[in-house]
Amino acid sequence: MNPVVREGMREGVRRIFTVSLGLIPWAIATGLAMRASGLTAGESLAMNLFVYAATAQLGTLPLLMGGAPLWLILLTATVLNLRFVIYSAAVSPAFHDQAWARRVAASYGLVDVVFIVLGPSLLEERDPQRRWGMFAGAALWCWGSWQAATALGIFAAGWVPADWSLGFMGTIALLVLLVPLCRDRAMLATAFAAGIAALVLRDLPLRTGVIAAVVLGLVVGVVFDRMTALRRRRG
Amino acid sequence: MEGLGLYGVFAAMFFTTWLTRGAFLLAGERVRLPAGMQRFLRFAPAAALGALIAPELVGGTGQPLDFFSPRLAAAVAVTLVVLRWRNPWLPFFVGMGVLLALQHLEG
Repeated sequence: MNPVVREGMREGVRRIFTVSLGLIPWAIATGLAMRASGLTAGESLAMNLFVYAATAQLGTLPLLMGGAPLWLILLTATVLNLRFVIYSAAVSPAFHDQAWARRVAASYGLVDVVFIVLGPSLLEERDPQRRWGMFAGAALWCWGSWQAATALGIFAAGWVPADWSLGFMGTIALLVLLVPLCRDRAMLATAFAAGIAALVLRDLPLRTGVIAAVVLGLVVGVVFDRMTALRRRRG
Repeated sequence: MEGLGLYGVFAAMFFTTWLTRGAFLLAGERVRLPAGMQRFLRFAPAAALGALIAPELVGGTGQPLDFFSPRLAAAVAVTLVVLRWRNPWLPFFVGMGVLLALQHLEG
């Protein structure tokens, strides 16, 4: 391997290492929650390998096991993944001079923490080989440690008594994501509006209430944001 | 959704996830995300998480609403822990602890 790429990889791993440790409880919770919802160990491992997006996995579990239609499952997963479009746009200049195969692989590995920790330095790094190394090192490290810790949760699930409500681990994991977002008041309004709408609409057929609630939440968030901006401008 | 159907769903989820992450990596240099679109997308995670979490805490499809459920109490505890401490293990231990304790008390 190109020594510049290898040096970059080491740098990428070094930068992501501490953050990746914080993902371990999340990964274990994801593994436990997949098993608790009724997937077999093999199915859980496959889902984790294929999808490799914990939020989408945890968010669609109730739909998947509740027999929701495919389009609704995919739509929900996509909405949960929309933040990646923002990451993708922000970090894309760092990949424009890379080969197609590398961009295809990077599109699988661009998870939240890799973007948050490495995004700015990728955009600053001038050497394309070192830049690719940094991304690949961090992304591979995250992927490996995530898969290992999730597998631990998947296999540990068999040892936990069935009446321990392990599925709740998935809800906790999603809450851990949501709470820091809600430090922004427009985000808090969005989440509350979507949550209340989801409760009111919970008996719509095929669980379509979830999507209706997401749309309502989005509208509330954007309107709230606009109003705050207007008020600030008026002083 | 069992057997092959389930793996079909996983494959489809793989594809949509890959596409959202790769949207601008794959599209090339000339495609840019409009600022208005970006402002809108910013709210997607909060909206989706709110809509998915609320029924888990208060009552989902076909269930009566219960604003005194052990799950909601556990979620409040988790929220306080996340706001106060940065330890990544703590929310899971506290949340499961509160849930199991309250469920045990309820019998």
